[in-house]
Amino acid sequence: MDQDIEKLLDRYYEGETTLEEERQLRQFFQGNDVPAHLQSHTAQFSYFAEARDQHPSLAFANELAARLDPPKKGRVRRLTSWIARIAAGLVLLIVGFAGGMLYYGFQASGNGGNIALSGRDRESVAEMKKMLDFEQRAVTSASERIHAVNQSYELSDVDRNITQLLINTLNFDPNINVRLAAGQALLRFVNEPDVTEALIQSLEIQSEPNVQIMLIEALTGIREQRAAGQFRRMVKNREVLDVVRLKAEEGLDRLARQENPSS
Amino acid sequence: MFSRSGRLVTEMELKAFNQRILPVQGRLFRLAQLFLRSREEAEDAIQDVLLRLWTNRQQLESYNSIEALAVQMTKNICLDRLKSHHHKKMTKDADLVSMEADDVSPYQQAELSDSNQLMLRLIGALPEQQKLILHLRDVEEYSFEELEQVTGLSINNIRVILSRARQKLRENYLKVNDYGSGY
Repeated sequence: MDQDIEKLLDRYYEGETTLEEERQLRQFFQGNDVPAHLQSHTAQFSYFAEARDQHPSLAFANELAARLDPPKKGRVRRLTSWIARIAAGLVLLIVGFAGGMLYYGFQASGNGGNIALSGRDRESVAEMKKMLDFEQRAVTSASERIHAVNQSYELSDVDRNITQLLINTLNFDPNINVRLAAGQALLRFVNEPDVTEALIQSLEIQSEPNVQIMLIEALTGIREQRAAGQFRRMVKNREVLDVVRLKAEEGLDRLARQENPSS
Repeated sequence: MFSRSGRLVTEMELKAFNQRILPVQGRLFRLAQLFLRSREEAEDAIQDVLLRLWTNRQQLESYNSIEALAVQMTKNICLDRLKSHHHKKMTKDADLVSMEADDVSPYQQAELSDSNQLMLRLIGALPEQQKLILHLRDVEEYSFEELEQVTGLSINNIRVILSRARQKLRENYLKVNDYGSGY
């Protein structure tokens, strides 16, 4: 054994040993039965084995991780080159313009080309919206909501938001008087897009005779031919109150007469 | 949206980088410690190396062995630092605390660190090339092919340098410890 080791040592100092043989040497010199005459080789082999256990500290690993992946700040700092700065500036400008165009386009379509709401109008609109808001219905009284609906009469211009608000009120408000008020208010805006369609649709879902009659009268009044189909359905529907069916029939007649004045 | 995808790429890159570099980190640290003889300075030096590798991560693909590259960089950075005047003042103090074995009893540690301390100093005193090759072979168990990649020397050349380094180390150790000439 010792002779083998001595042979290995010779080859080791000549740089001829393999990694496997060097491992044997280290193992041998780390053991407890190293003969006295070989003892002087121990220090270096145990150093080799020992040195391999040295590692950077945990604090170092943490610091390195933080520097490799700086939390967010690094991104901002990266805009150091001229071109990047200019590009960023341009992007901001373009976003600003695009946003402006979009906003303007939205406004224009909402107003049907009209000018924007005046300051006073905007205030009453906000108040109205707040009062008629779906979530608010449980806490507002019917008279408060009617008042809010009537505020729409003071508006010189309306946008789609307001007509939609009134349509929702007409369709879904739990109080019949509020629904009637909303329907009346909407009659002022029959020239706005979608309002007449909404009235016809509403006729389909309304179950209250008062509201039904009001809508039939309104639609006949504005000579809305598209309502004829819905009128016919109501005339045939046995669940609809007789008075209402009569009203619908009358409406049909008037619409037909308006369409062919000769007959 | 833009910065988000950018961030995602960086995260993936970071993961890939860590997978390739972290296993090598200990080796780089030990090499730096051998040259700089201080834990703090070694950590500082390899942080420098790792950050440089990270900055140039796009080019890393074109290297055969990232480890070889990292070892070369570590060696160069350490030599640069040794050259600077600033370093010379600090090492004398740092020398005293540089080697601390982690998992040994205080008694053992005193004993081990004495002779290990001496070995570290003796190896540190070897010529630069001998020191590098001896360390990479006997501590890090590099094959001759790996040594060839790191040093750019031929295998025969490496054997000669390694042999000289081993003999020189033993010679110096015997001198210090005053062993009889018979060994």
